[in-house]
Amino acid sequence: MKSKDQTVPAALLIGAVLIFITALSLLYILLSKSPKGGLIADIYQSGELIASIPLNEVRETYRFTVTGDEGHVNEIEIRPGSIGIISADCPDKLCVRQGFISDSRLPVTCLPNRVVIRLRPQEENSETISPDIISY
Amino acid sequence: MKLKRLTALSLYVTLSLAVYAAESVIPPLVPVPGIKLGLANIITLILLRRHSLKDAALVLTARILLSALLFGQLLSFFYSLSGGFLSLFAMFFTCRLLHKKMGFLTGAVGGLTHNLGQLLTAFALTATPGVFAYLPFLALSGILTGLFTGLAASFTDKYIFSHTESDDFSNSANS
Repeated sequence: MKSKDQTVPAALLIGAVLIFITALSLLYILLSKSPKGGLIADIYQSGELIASIPLNEVRETYRFTVTGDEGHVNEIEIRPGSIGIISADCPDKLCVRQGFISDSRLPVTCLPNRVVIRLRPQEENSETISPDIISY
Repeated sequence: MKLKRLTALSLYVTLSLAVYAAESVIPPLVPVPGIKLGLANIITLILLRRHSLKDAALVLTARILLSALLFGQLLSFFYSLSGGFLSLFAMFFTCRLLHKKMGFLTGAVGGLTHNLGQLLTAFALTATPGVFAYLPFLALSGILTGLFTGLAASFTDKYIFSHTESDDFSNSANS
């Protein structure tokens, strides 16, 4: 009734695509290197760049608070060479659990409060994030 | 809506809510937003296999609405909705293409597309292209957790639901 000769190629195709995506993701995760040198931490709130901090110029640990549109609060700590969120009023606290970042591989994100902290190399021109996208 | 269908679908909603609640108790293994097991997808997979796209969509919508009300965040509602429906349609076509066989592949496709939908929502909400840095992590975790939920759905279907006669109301619903 149900032709097996049609199911098998479909399964092979889907399997192949899935394996390809898996391999690509794995390669990216394993091979992506964080560029050495000075990093700049960009802090976004609802897509707006609210602060850019050159991390290698930070001498002393300090904190500041980001307050969002609906009064949500994220406390950000900046250490020499790394940055992270140390407290937040979001329910799951995933942003706090992400800890401190010191390379540009993964941003620290608080989705409920729409805060993204992203590191980029100092020498990088802003071609990857165009100002248009940021300010819109 | 036939009473039998209404009852069965309500039961599915209850089941998926219970699974969802049980999963939310498990602390996240990896501190990356969006990476979770997605156990409630098991119910969607079973519905797609034994019933119809329409029934699966109804149960999914009810589950997302109720879980947003019960465990309450407005934002997680949008994430669930986008991820849930994108993966629902993707799984529907995969399930069809595979003639309802090899459920683990359907699950993997579902997991992948669910995370893609969530990432697109995250981009829409934060308006920060930086969130796409999560793409490889979310793709990988979506496929792996999807394989798991797909297998779980296959076994559930085989050992639990095969003894029920629940799939006959899809015929009577048309009459």
